[in-house]
Amino acid sequence: MLTIEGLKKSYAGNDILKGISIDVNKGDVISIIGPSGSGKTTLLRTMTTLEEADGGHLTFAGVDKDFEKLTGKEVNTIRRNVGFVFQNYNLFNNKTALQNITEGLIVARKVKKSEAEKIALKALERVGLTDRKNHYPSQLSGGQQQRVGIARAIALNPEVIFFDEPTSALDPELVGEVLKVMQDLASSGTTMVVVTHQMSFARDVSNRVIFMADGHIVEQGAPKAIFEKPSEQRTKKFLTDILANV
Amino acid sequence: MENIKLIINFLGQLLPAINITLIVSVSSIILGSLLGLLLAAARLSESVVLRVLASVYVSVVRATPAIIMIFVVYYGMPMLFNDWFHTNIDGWNRMYFVIIALTVLFSAPVSEIMRSAYESIAKGQMEAGLMVGMTPFQTLYRIILPQAFVVALPNFANSVINLLKEGALTFTIGVVDMVAKAQMIVANNSGGYAWQTYCALALIYWVISLAIDKGVSQVEKSYQAKRKTIAV
Amino acid sequence: MSLNTDFMVKVAQTAIQGVPVTLQIVLVALVIAFPIGILFALIRIYRVKGLQRLVQFYVSLVRGTPIIAQILIVYSAFPSLLNMIIGRAAFAINPIYYAYIVFTLNAIATLTEVFRSALQTVDKGQMEAGLMVGMQPRQTFWRIILPQALISALPNIANTTLYLIKNSSLAFIMSVKDITAIAKTEAAFNYNFLEAYLVVWVYYLIICYAAEVVFYLLERYFSKYRRPIKKTSGFNWLPFGIKQPKLERKQS
Ligand SMILES: Nc1ncnc2c1ncn2[C@@H]1O[C@H](COP(=O)(O)OP(=O)(O)OP(=O)(O)O)[C@@H](O)[C@H]1O
Ligand SMILES: [Mg+2]
Repeated sequence: MLTIEGLKKSYAGNDILKGISIDVNKGDVISIIGPSGSGKTTLLRTMTTLEEADGGHLTFAGVDKDFEKLTGKEVNTIRRNVGFVFQNYNLFNNKTALQNITEGLIVARKVKKSEAEKIALKALERVGLTDRKNHYPSQLSGGQQQRVGIARAIALNPEVIFFDEPTSALDPELVGEVLKVMQDLASSGTTMVVVTHQMSFARDVSNRVIFMADGHIVEQGAPKAIFEKPSEQRTKKFLTDILANV
Repeated sequence: MENIKLIINFLGQLLPAINITLIVSVSSIILGSLLGLLLAAARLSESVVLRVLASVYVSVVRATPAIIMIFVVYYGMPMLFNDWFHTNIDGWNRMYFVIIALTVLFSAPVSEIMRSAYESIAKGQMEAGLMVGMTPFQTLYRIILPQAFVVALPNFANSVINLLKEGALTFTIGVVDMVAKAQMIVANNSGGYAWQTYCALALIYWVISLAIDKGVSQVEKSYQAKRKTIAV
Repeated sequence: MSLNTDFMVKVAQTAIQGVPVTLQIVLVALVIAFPIGILFALIRIYRVKGLQRLVQFYVSLVRGTPIIAQILIVYSAFPSLLNMIIGRAAFAINPIYYAYIVFTLNAIATLTEVFRSALQTVDKGQMEAGLMVGMQPRQTFWRIILPQALISALPNIANTTLYLIKNSSLAFIMSVKDITAIAKTEAAFNYNFLEAYLVVWVYYLIICYAAEVVFYLLERYFSKYRRPIKKTSGFNWLPFGIKQPKLERKQS
């Protein structure tokens, strides 16, 4: 459904992504793990056109093209078909929870207001926040904000939702509520690509784990394989280190 | 081209009067800073009366146009002195009145700048200083003030530029500063070359403002450089 | 002290006719300068080639020169400029138009800086979130970024307004019949300058404080989204107006 090949990105001469290829199938829940600075965020941002890639090919939503040749129209198509959940939520600060969700529907999708509100309420219900629909982001806890962030993404019914460390800005006691929502999404068949440091999510929820280091995909496979008998030394070391620190 | 020549010519005629501007500005900056310091101390003091008085003072001054302040001081002070001290100060150099008015005007924002700079630094730093065995005074002098200085500097410079500009109203009570000089030049040319004359005037002020800004960013840079070397 | 109180009452009555003039100058300047200030701020932020230098130069020039110099330049240059365009009618123009020009030019420079810093306080994640729900950059700017920026700019817009109100007291130099001009004329009859200026002072205090209250209410109303529920900050009546503009930025 979504395929990238040989994705490259550099900042000021530093190669951050050195040719990444990923295949996302419908219903996949892919976890991307890897040490800090390995380029995970950059990968998500270039895949979703938030950041311009320097090279690579994309096949998605009827677009079949090299990244650098994408037209404005195609960029719009891509953005319309993906959802993005940000590490620090990025809810619209001047909009209520409900308006955060209806905004994209009304303005970008041209959905009627009443219709948009119906969709938004359904999305809020899925993340368990119906009673907070009129609250502004500053009036919500981090966990609630991130759940609104997720509701905002699912309301648009995208082909695939990208998550960039959705729980790492949260206080430990709030992580659970967000992970639970993500788990529900996964089991309902939503296609998800999740950058995460939550090894439990990678192991128990996803159907594929990608381990990245230094701008390369070092290893990928079923969670069981990666966690129990990684074939690469670096993966083993990363997993031992991170699991020792939990 | 013609105009540029004219402006340069007028610059030459205006510049001698710059010392009035400088004397007025520098005296008001010094006096205003001292007064501002007292006000900041009052705002931070334990006494409710002092705090309220200082805040009322600051808010009134903040809402007072410079020209009105200058006029009120100029016309009011002689009357006050006459009634209360039975002294006649009509003969004072008029610059004194401007300096007093500008001092009052400058003291208000400066006290606010000092106060907020102090507050932004003081909290944790005083405790830290005391914990390593310094006296409160040593902590204030060696730790808090240097940091507060850096925090306050850009805003202080901004206020100085404002003061400089307000000082351009000195002419309104008959002191022959650059503005008055410019008006005289225009009058002597029976109204001719007016905008060129006033552009020359504006240019002088602009250069001073730019110089102040430049100086401040220089000082800031040197402080940042220091910080970096320590941070390594 | 022997103030001529009868005279003060009389000045208060005549000078009040200058209040609308002062307010008019301030409002006209603000309304015209507002959109231009936003435009200039955007030019600065997005470093629009060519224009960005020009805006920077303009702002620095206005900020670095006394308003009196600006008044003198406009008042001496514009009539002859206009004379070339519309002929002798230029000299019959109501001087208040010159005041509009000076104070608008002045406000544009101040507001450019105000909006620039306000727009920069809006997290760039807000734009990215807008793009990711499928909105165009332009739509995100108008609907998400600008409203937040304007609200965080309110304290500084209030400051700009105070500056305008105070500076407008110099309009008399262009023979505009504002509060100061009327009082000055009254005072000149029998040299009751102190009394006249005390009255004027009170008027400016009232206008400035009224403006502060208006802005306080605006801020209160529009920043509802920034307030945690229930916790409302009371209005600080006593030392009012001394609150520092705080460009707090909600870090999540
Ligand atoms: N805008 C940028 N300009 C320059 N360098 C950047 C930029 N964004 C990221 N980088 C660099 O790219 C590298 C990869 O960053 P990235 O944020 O993708 O890592 P990450 O894997 O998401 O790390 P983390 O787990 O800490 O979030 C880092 O070395 C970072 O310094
Ligand atoms: Mg990251």
